[in-house]
Amino acid sequence: MFNKTLHVLPVVLAVVASSNAGSGQLPEEVLDGLIKKTNNSVYLTQSPQNIMMLPDNPAWLVAEAGEALFKQARGPKNASLEQCDFGKGPGVLDGAHAELPRYFADTGKVMDLETRLLHCMKTLQGFTNDDAAIKQKHGSKSDIMKLQTYIASKSSGIPWNPPMQHPLEKAMRDAGEVMFYRRSGTMDFSCATCHTQTGKRIRASVLPSVYDAADMTKAISWPSQRTSHDEVRSSQHRVLECLWQMRYPNIKNGSDASIALISFWTDAARGEPAILPDLKR
Amino acid sequence: MFKKTPIAAVAAVSLLLIAGGCAATNTGKSVAPQATAPAAAPAAAPAAPAVVAKKVDYTAMSPAELAEYLIFEAEGYDLKQPTQEGTTGRARLVQDEIQKACSLGKGKEIDDKSREKIMALAASTIKYPEGGIKLGDWKKGRELAWSGYGYRTAHNPDNHAKGTPGGNCYNCHQIATDRTGGDIGPSLTGFGKIRGMDPDTLKYAYDVIYNPHVYFACTNMPRMGASGVLSQAQIADILAYLFDPNSPVNK
Ligand code: HEC
Ligand code: HEC
Repeated sequence: MFNKTLHVLPVVLAVVASSNAGSGQLPEEVLDGLIKKTNNSVYLTQSPQNIMMLPDNPAWLVAEAGEALFKQARGPKNASLEQCDFGKGPGVLDGAHAELPRYFADTGKVMDLETRLLHCMKTLQGFTNDDAAIKQKHGSKSDIMKLQTYIASKSSGIPWNPPMQHPLEKAMRDAGEVMFYRRSGTMDFSCATCHTQTGKRIRASVLPSVYDAADMTKAISWPSQRTSHDEVRSSQHRVLECLWQMRYPNIKNGSDASIALISFWTDAARGEPAILPDLKR
Repeated sequence: MFKKTPIAAVAAVSLLLIAGGCAATNTGKSVAPQATAPAAAPAAAPAAPAVVAKKVDYTAMSPAELAEYLIFEAEGYDLKQPTQEGTTGRARLVQDEIQKACSLGKGKEIDDKSREKIMALAASTIKYPEGGIKLGDWKKGRELAWSGYGYRTAHNPDNHAKGTPGGNCYNCHQIATDRTGGDIGPSLTGFGKIRGMDPDTLKYAYDVIYNPHVYFACTNMPRMGASGVLSQAQIADILAYLFDPNSPVNK
């Protein structure tokens, strides 16, 4: 609940809180709960500095800009995104991201937050792939990241619960699992090389284990401020970064391959509350 | 030519998997499988037949088939992206025998027969320097062991004209105590001091760096010699870093 004294960024939080009444929990409260529950997980507690900065997360400003964009009539069709259906009905944002990726009957596809958002910007607002609003997918200044950060913030504190009723949802998750364990490339890496043991490190960075839902919920809580980049980053961007380390070729933004991986990792965090927006290394 | 019933779609999927490379036109554009009424086909067919191709039914594939399909047929990756070694992204994604055998799911381990096969296969890849294994320059070895540069592609390809590919050892190993390393692999601190420098120990370390599957089948450690990332001379430099009494590893 947003009933705590909002001592930081009061204006921004008040805006977010007022439109979010009744749902969600502040990211710092969620993280605090997880740290207590896991008895100080090494992954969750690795950066005291980042934990301290979480209430002042610059991502809130990006979310605020996203809210304005969301409600503004834009694009060739001069429409807002308020009729966009993220899976829980047109315009319903509370808890929507915690149930993505999911199957959408209108496209016949399993979509994550970013691909669904792009779909609505095209169908409702009339943007095309050539428009800057859609083309620019990375960085805090991009419309896509502003909008994603706002929409996702409405799932803070909500347990991840990607639906697995539709056969395509299950198929994508299961293919993502295969891809997670699939070794290839110059250095024989699979995601499993680095993400199947609790508390292990790549150099100084503590790695989340896919077998540990409490670690995974933080790992997959994107958008997240990336302090080392000074930008808000998406799930799609995190996939890209790990694939770069793995010596894999570029993955296409929003491709079914990326969504399969994201379906699998979201399922691995099932039941644990989302931390949104998060702040990471 | 166009398959319209769900059953035919399944057959088409397996054909695509075998034929490979011709499914590019099936992705992205198509609508919900159920919604694609046969009547929709004739209208568009004369002008651009490829666009009308049916939507592939993912649910008819096994998870492994779908994974291969998403990687190689559905254009999930940039398969044409140039690599530093002069191949393409596709080559980075195709699995060799060891990669395939070692892609083990949750809680799975290789059976004894596969283990023996992998160890023998690994042994056959190892090449030794003429004149035997000797220690190189530990300072160069230190540079290599602490470098993660090289062969990264994706959104920001490494340029090998500007930097020498390194061994990535620090990512997974604590090596010397002067800098922080990872712990996916065991600590190598004091390696030479603890293990000694007899020829068998040197050969063991050379083999592990060249192709660790010869001792540890399906290990998480990369095959730095067999993959061509490190040359024999570079491995000798890294060996010096591990064994030389003057190296910080043994201080
Ligand atoms: C070579 C090791 C390595 C491999 C292989 C790898 N990752 Fe990562 N991954 C990392 C590191 C290092 C981080 C950053 C962790 C940190 O900062 O605490 C990370 C972070 C992440 C995160 C976000 C957690 C965070 O704290 O930033 C996710 C999610 C993730 N990886 C998923 C994957 C997936 C999916 C794959 C396979 C496509 C993969 N990783 C492959 C090393 C790896
Ligand atoms: C992706 C992680 C990773 C990287 C990178 C890596 N290693 Fe390893 N290494 C391991 C693991 C894991 C083991 C343990 C073998 C096993 O049981 O699978 C190991 C084992 C070893 C051993 C044997 C240790 C012993 O106690 O006998 C040596 C020596 C070694 N590595 C050296 C290196 C060097 C030198 C490099 C850089 C060229 C390197 N490693 C890079 C993961 C890695």
